[in-house]
Amino acid sequence: MPASTPETIYQLKDVAKTRSSNGYTFGLRVPSLRICRGEKIALIGESGCGKSTLLDLLAFILQPSDAGDFSFCAGAAGTVDIGAAWRRQKRNRLAALRKAHMGYVMQTGGLLPYLNIYDNINLSRRMLGMPADDTVENLARELGLVRHLHKLPDALSTGERQRVAIGRALAHRPAIIIADEPTASVDPFAAEKIMSLFIGMVEERNITVIVASHAWRHIKQLGLRRLAHHTRRSADGRMIETVVSG
Amino acid sequence: MLRQQRHSLALASRDYFHEWRISICFVLALAAVLGPMLVLFGLKFGIVGAMVEELVEDPLKREVRPVGSGRYDRAWIDRLRKREDVDFIVPRIRSIASTLSVSSEQAGRILQFEVIPSAPGDPLLDPQRPAPSGLDKVVLSASAAKKLQVAAGDRVEGSLLRQYNGRRERVSLPLQVAAIAPATAFSRDGLFASVALVEALEDFRDGHAVPALDWEGVTVVRDRHYTGFRLYARSIYDVAALQDSFERSGIDVRTRAADIESVRRMDRTLSAIYWAIALIGLGGFSLSLGASLWANVDRKRRELSVLRLVGFHTGEIILFPVVQGLYTAFFGWALACGIYGAAAWSINFMLAPQLESTQKICRLLPEHYAAALAITAGASMLAAILAGIRAARVEPSEGLREI
Ligand SMILES: Nc1ncnc2c1ncn2[C@@H]1O[C@H](COP(=O)(O)OP(=O)(O)OP(=O)(O)O)[C@@H](O)[C@H]1O
Ligand SMILES: [Mg+2]
Repeated sequence: MPASTPETIYQLKDVAKTRSSNGYTFGLRVPSLRICRGEKIALIGESGCGKSTLLDLLAFILQPSDAGDFSFCAGAAGTVDIGAAWRRQKRNRLAALRKAHMGYVMQTGGLLPYLNIYDNINLSRRMLGMPADDTVENLARELGLVRHLHKLPDALSTGERQRVAIGRALAHRPAIIIADEPTASVDPFAAEKIMSLFIGMVEERNITVIVASHAWRHIKQLGLRRLAHHTRRSADGRMIETVVSG
Repeated sequence: MLRQQRHSLALASRDYFHEWRISICFVLALAAVLGPMLVLFGLKFGIVGAMVEELVEDPLKREVRPVGSGRYDRAWIDRLRKREDVDFIVPRIRSIASTLSVSSEQAGRILQFEVIPSAPGDPLLDPQRPAPSGLDKVVLSASAAKKLQVAAGDRVEGSLLRQYNGRRERVSLPLQVAAIAPATAFSRDGLFASVALVEALEDFRDGHAVPALDWEGVTVVRDRHYTGFRLYARSIYDVAALQDSFERSGIDVRTRAADIESVRRMDRTLSAIYWAIALIGLGGFSLSLGASLWANVDRKRRELSVLRLVGFHTGEIILFPVVQGLYTAFFGWALACGIYGAAAWSINFMLAPQLESTQKICRLLPEHYAAALAITAGASMLAAILAGIRAARVEPSEGLREI
């Protein structure tokens, strides 16, 4: 592998996403970003600064408007040129990468309402054809969900659902987990508890994690690396640009 | 790979039954359009079917009868028999000569029967039972058999009389009842006999010799002519053309062509009305089915995006609405068949007194049900695939962030 050392998972150079609506334009620019295996990254910033946009780019669920160099390397598959995959609309290829190497925790929801908690946590494992062992039970025990395993998501509280989403993201032992404000919809006390639990579980399994959050104080205690970024507004306020690097 | 598809199928089924209330709405909406269409088609098929069947089943409707008497020879009859559109033809003799006195031991009285020339394949006779043959095996009409109190296999005695050499001469003719004709075929007292026997009767009356029966007389007839024929067209649809062809060659014939034409015209009119309604119905049906499936996929965009997020392929995403569309199609079809069944039963029940026992006003064949299912499933699949492709095209990030 010429450009990146084996530990590098993400290598981005001059990747950008511009979105505009109603004459207002938002631009996210990543001149250079490198994320290595086992790193724990925090993305902290005010609302609307582009955290979700960056995470979606990193999860291959949002097409970059511009991708100078965007490569992803996870395990045996070797380095994949994500920019090229998007240009050639290889959505299935990207989906396969997500399936095998990635877990994603959304701010809320993201569970399938028709599957019980066990099956929701087991979803990715089942898709990958992984054996039905005690992984799900063990995760449920750690996340305090054992008594809910056979309920449907609508019978759970928001915090419990977030823990289910964390369980699902972890269950197939992905190389990387992306979490977009996983605790934003629960009260600060519960948020701290869930976040600590989450980071602890990720650390234990040596999984790379990228998490967006607004509670920096707590995140700092957990030892995450903060991605540097700054947001600029144009004089008329019609253009916002966020530049991320790290 | 197949494991993925199975998984997708299982999830789609789970979702469909989890949302059973909405699924029921879709099924009801489908059945509400499909059910009445089936009833409509059943009525059209049943009414026209019954009329056509009556025409086709009834050989009298296929009969072509010469008016008055003519002079036809055997070669001419044989030529007609070879025609594609002729199902059956036998020559007739003078009507004065075509009666026979018959008696049986059981009845003990002598009856005058009309003698009808016949042969194997006679449409008036049951093809399963023996046809008249030779000079002794005859078939009796139902009323004749009843009056003689005989059944198939019994013997009867025919007798005929002629004025010969200035004196009355009577011969007797032992006959065997080969079969009894169906009651619907011939309502009068009649005796179906082979052409050979009919010719023998005529020859005897005319004073000719009939060597086969040891009847004496002047010369044996060689150059025989017939005064008429019994002719049945191959089908009701050939009657008009046959009539034309006879009339062109100067033979006046009588047929049921007018009846047949009026039923066919009615069939065409009903078909046109039906197709007009069916096309409108089919249009509405496809639109309603397509719209509901489309709306359903739109409603599920977020869930489909979640599946996309966890790594479902485009094909597996499309499979999702397709499976659900097929469920709706199948259950909707089944319910529509139920609606049809109930409607058809009550229509047939209400109209039963006006109908013959076996006739049904509202009727469908198994292939009609199958066609309805195929059309419904096809339309659902098409709508679901289109909606599914659209859903798969949506960027997952958009779908996930939907409010
Ligand atoms: N679909 C879209 N079309 C146009 N602009 C969009 C779209 N989605 C987001 N934006 C804009 O992009 C900017 C960044 O949005 P993003 O969701 O990344 O913010 P965020 O940092 O995640 O905010 P929050 O903390 O509130 O989740 C916002 O200013 C928003 O108005
Ligand atoms: Mg956000």
